[in-house]
Amino acid sequence: MRRILNIFRYIIVITLNVFVMVTFQSYLNFLLLVGMLLFPVYSIYGVWKVKQELRLEIFSPSEAMEKTEEFYLRFVVHNHTNYTLVNGTAAVNVSNRFYGDRGKHYLNIPIRARKNAEVVYPIVMDYCGLFQVNVEQIKLVDLLGIYETAIALDVQRECLVLPGGEMRSQEAGAAYVRGVSEAMESKEKGYDFSEVSGIREYIPGDKLQNIHWKLSVKKDELMVKERVSVSAMQLNVLLDLLNDEEMRLESVLELADSVTKSLVAQNLPFTVYYYSTNLGKLSEQYIGSEIERKQWMEQLLYNHADSVEGRAEDLYKKQFPFGGTYLYIGFMDENQTEDCILGNQQTAAVLRR
Amino acid sequence: MIFERNKKEKPHKGDVFLAKGIYLKEPRINNGHVLANCFLRSLIVFMLVLGSVGGFLSAFDISYNYVLVIVSYLVLSAYFSFLYATSKMIYRDLGYILFFGVFVTAIYIFRIYANSGFYVIVNRVLQYAQSFFNLSGVREYEVQINNPYFTVAIVSVFLGMAEIIILNIWIYSTMSLGWTLLFTFPLLFIPIYMKQMPDMFYIILLCAGYMAVVIFKANGHYLSFAWDASFRVRGLKKDQISYTQDSAIFKQILSKTLLLSFCMVIVAGTVFSNRSFEGMFHDDKLRERTSEVIGNFILLGVGGLYNRYSSTGGMSGGKLGGVSNVRPDYQPDLLVSFTPYGNSAIYLKGYTGGIYGDNQWESIYEYGKDDVEVFEEESLYSEASNLQRQMQNDSDYGAFGKMDIKNVGADPAYLYYPYYTLFDEYTIYKNHSLMPTAQGLKMEEETTYSYYPKIKWEDSWGNVYPSQIDTDKVDKVFLDVPEKNADVIREECERIGINENMTENEIAESIRTYFNDNIPYTLKPGATPESEDFINYFLTKNRKGYCAHFASAATLLFRQMGIPARYVEGYAISMEAVLASELNEEKEYWDYYTGYSEIGQSAVVDVEVTDAMAHAWVEIYIEGFGWKVVEVTPGSNESTEEDDFWSAFANLFGGADYGAGGDNPIFGDIQLSKFSWLIYVVIGILLVLWMFRVCCLIYRKICRYRICHQKDMKEALIARYADVCDIIRMYESEYGLCRSHGEQLLFIKDRYCVDFDVKKICRWLECISFSRNIILQEEMKELQQLFIMFRKAIWKQTGIRQKIKWLKR
Repeated sequence: MRRILNIFRYIIVITLNVFVMVTFQSYLNFLLLVGMLLFPVYSIYGVWKVKQELRLEIFSPSEAMEKTEEFYLRFVVHNHTNYTLVNGTAAVNVSNRFYGDRGKHYLNIPIRARKNAEVVYPIVMDYCGLFQVNVEQIKLVDLLGIYETAIALDVQRECLVLPGGEMRSQEAGAAYVRGVSEAMESKEKGYDFSEVSGIREYIPGDKLQNIHWKLSVKKDELMVKERVSVSAMQLNVLLDLLNDEEMRLESVLELADSVTKSLVAQNLPFTVYYYSTNLGKLSEQYIGSEIERKQWMEQLLYNHADSVEGRAEDLYKKQFPFGGTYLYIGFMDENQTEDCILGNQQTAAVLRR
Repeated sequence: MIFERNKKEKPHKGDVFLAKGIYLKEPRINNGHVLANCFLRSLIVFMLVLGSVGGFLSAFDISYNYVLVIVSYLVLSAYFSFLYATSKMIYRDLGYILFFGVFVTAIYIFRIYANSGFYVIVNRVLQYAQSFFNLSGVREYEVQINNPYFTVAIVSVFLGMAEIIILNIWIYSTMSLGWTLLFTFPLLFIPIYMKQMPDMFYIILLCAGYMAVVIFKANGHYLSFAWDASFRVRGLKKDQISYTQDSAIFKQILSKTLLLSFCMVIVAGTVFSNRSFEGMFHDDKLRERTSEVIGNFILLGVGGLYNRYSSTGGMSGGKLGGVSNVRPDYQPDLLVSFTPYGNSAIYLKGYTGGIYGDNQWESIYEYGKDDVEVFEEESLYSEASNLQRQMQNDSDYGAFGKMDIKNVGADPAYLYYPYYTLFDEYTIYKNHSLMPTAQGLKMEEETTYSYYPKIKWEDSWGNVYPSQIDTDKVDKVFLDVPEKNADVIREECERIGINENMTENEIAESIRTYFNDNIPYTLKPGATPESEDFINYFLTKNRKGYCAHFASAATLLFRQMGIPARYVEGYAISMEAVLASELNEEKEYWDYYTGYSEIGQSAVVDVEVTDAMAHAWVEIYIEGFGWKVVEVTPGSNESTEEDDFWSAFANLFGGADYGAGGDNPIFGDIQLSKFSWLIYVVIGILLVLWMFRVCCLIYRKICRYRICHQKDMKEALIARYADVCDIIRMYESEYGLCRSHGEQLLFIKDRYCVDFDVKKICRWLECISFSRNIILQEEMKELQQLFIMFRKAIWKQTGIRQKIKWLKR
């Protein structure tokens, strides 16, 4: 519409000029007319040239950010031609991959001749997840606003946004102790939760009780059962990534972040389980340090939020049919009142068996 | 909607929503300092104004102090541009007030310079106009300070200042090309019309300025305020994040438009020259049709636009009716050397009209006929011969004179000769401008005439009744009263009280007295409407006029009485003019005059006969003598000061009469009587503004009425309640503190003493405002009635001022 208006306006100006030129036999208006006729040619040619040369770069933080923390994207437009355009409009898609939320908007930037235009884009995310930005095209408008063309691009950047849970050391420590005690009790009663996770060659210092004697005889060398020891698997944490309309998953993630962070801070290792939409199965990860914890969290956010209620817990129970105590982090049962670490929006970390 | 609906502090106030949970804070771009932007933007105004004013001056080859003008324009453009960048409106207003103070001081200090500069420009334009329109007698204005290089620069600064102020507003608010053209191009129409080209430099500036305006108008991004963020959210869906402005873009666009304009203008100018361009046109209808009007305008100002032919005084060749006013230029038309001999005016005859029709006095000459006899009759050959004989017979009152007449500005189509001239050769004179062989007094030609003045008139002459005149001795056309004038002339004769039983002298005296007593003389009688007859309109409707009116009417009145009469145009040299003239001591009295003189032996005088002395009178045929001059035009009481358009305009810059140390107040020398046109313009503008305001008010009221009476009753009620709230807010600032319908209703109840159930009404209001539930029809009607009650109660309790405020809302 604006383009039509500009064309219409330009035609009126030319017509007026021609009228004055002919009526007054004005050479001045003749010169203006020449300018008016040649200028659109220059203007449109300029767009065409810019279209050939224009380049867009997006820069995003390589480190993961915390939610509600401001981070910067940088859009840099490179125009190596001598042609200036007042309007270049990039169609920008932004999304949070974890939740599947998307949005599209248009960023209008100047296209400077032989000069970069850098736009600093401060972003704030209320929810954690994987922030993705993508520019699919830039629309260029000529100087007279009568011609426009688009350059197809596919420039994409992403940035992880982690939940910013607070340390809840005391509650987490207590839950851990309680959970581990229950596991130990179970062991004394004859349950052995320890599992053989693999066989490897003997390394000096390995416990004798872990030597796989039968296999060692067969292979004629000492083989050791790589065991997930009771001491390293004293607590399993099951994270339920189910989301709902009230975005309670945010509180779940925040609580998970708080609890896991607190455990790691107290050197209390644990194994965390969650349903991975990427793998289509329960994901398991042993966490003994803050680095491992962060890697786990980042890996988690590359998935999508779960949409099936109880799926994670069902799969966990299938995987561990003999039960045992684990720390469930998810939505709180209505009748749950005690023995839990409360999160926001009726979420909690609760020991379940 | 004005309701206070659940106001909650938003956590992301001011942020841009991108997607669920993703917000954009204030994006940034390195777009330069706001002052840099303002300065760059001001260059557009600078280019346009310099292109316009400088182009105008250069077209007329007027040189001026370029540095002063360019620096002033730069500073002024930047100043006003900066005003638009100030963070608060109040600063902008203060900036304008400050500037006004500086402006008043400057105009007071430089008023004489500006005045002189203005006259330099006007003189130069008039010079060009004179040659272009072939105008005679264009006045040159006196310049007080003879330093055109500086004075023109001063006046250019003032003119440019006005353009900058206005253009600045339109450029920064709307970047309107229409307004830009309107404020910059009209000035150039003057040189364009006169086929004068501005210098290429100014054309390039103009071209670049227009291009920049077109570009920014088409693309936006021209507004730059100090409080502006780098980006602004736009679009209906609020999904467009646009940068506001960018100094790099401004810089690049300006430099490119300049470069492009330079290339285009130079290349186009080289490839296709002005001469080649003019060769494309074979005729020039516009100038053919309008040159007369424009020429009139240049000579006379606005009044000239509604004259159908030029009249700055001087000869009109019997053409009547198209002149609304006569503005003599007081420039000499003839230089006359003669010896004065009496107290009466000396008439120099130029044109004789015999046949009246179509608002014109035509000569009795006819094409293809031998006109020598007619010219002899017209030039009073027989009367002159008789007087010559009397002189030769040593008559007491006989006299003979010589008169040198040089044409320096008069219409060269006519001869100008004193009464009772005897020409040496009559055959060469065919004294009519329409005649192909007409031979008048050419420009710069000087002729000496021998004449026999008639100073004393015998008592018997003119003391005859019209019926006693031997009309066979004159052409019958001199007795002809056109049919369409007959009734009016008859009635006028009755009104004057003249009849055929009066003598010629009595009739002449009656007409003269009647005109003098009843019909005022004016140089501004207004043009005769095209559908009207000149004499009828003068005698019946207009009843005012100048010499041509009186002479024409009197001619027909005489004819109606049976006295042969004709209309004559020429110059009348009054005794005052003679006394004001210079004595020529090189010429001897006796060489120029012999015989009877009323004033005794005087001297030879050189009189500058200006166009203001041009005159029309009547010749009547006196039985026993011949044709005699009868003066019927009353004396003028009008001011003859120079009050033309240009002078009035120039006076705006301060009176030229006051010295720099004069104690007259600023503009104190402006005489409002001279500015009636300006007052009309001001009143017109005020009226238009007032009308515009009234229209806006009516429009607002109609819109409000439509909203309050829309079909959807629920929305209509909401609108009505909002309207009531608006009214109360106008008067009661406390009302603004009420945060809910309940509080608002309680306030109304207490303040305006309206009795109603607050809880019930509040519930209904809440229901229609914030829910989808619809209340019952009856309840709606009750609400409607209640709102009317509210309005009435408020109206009752408000004072007159508040009521006016209400009505103006």
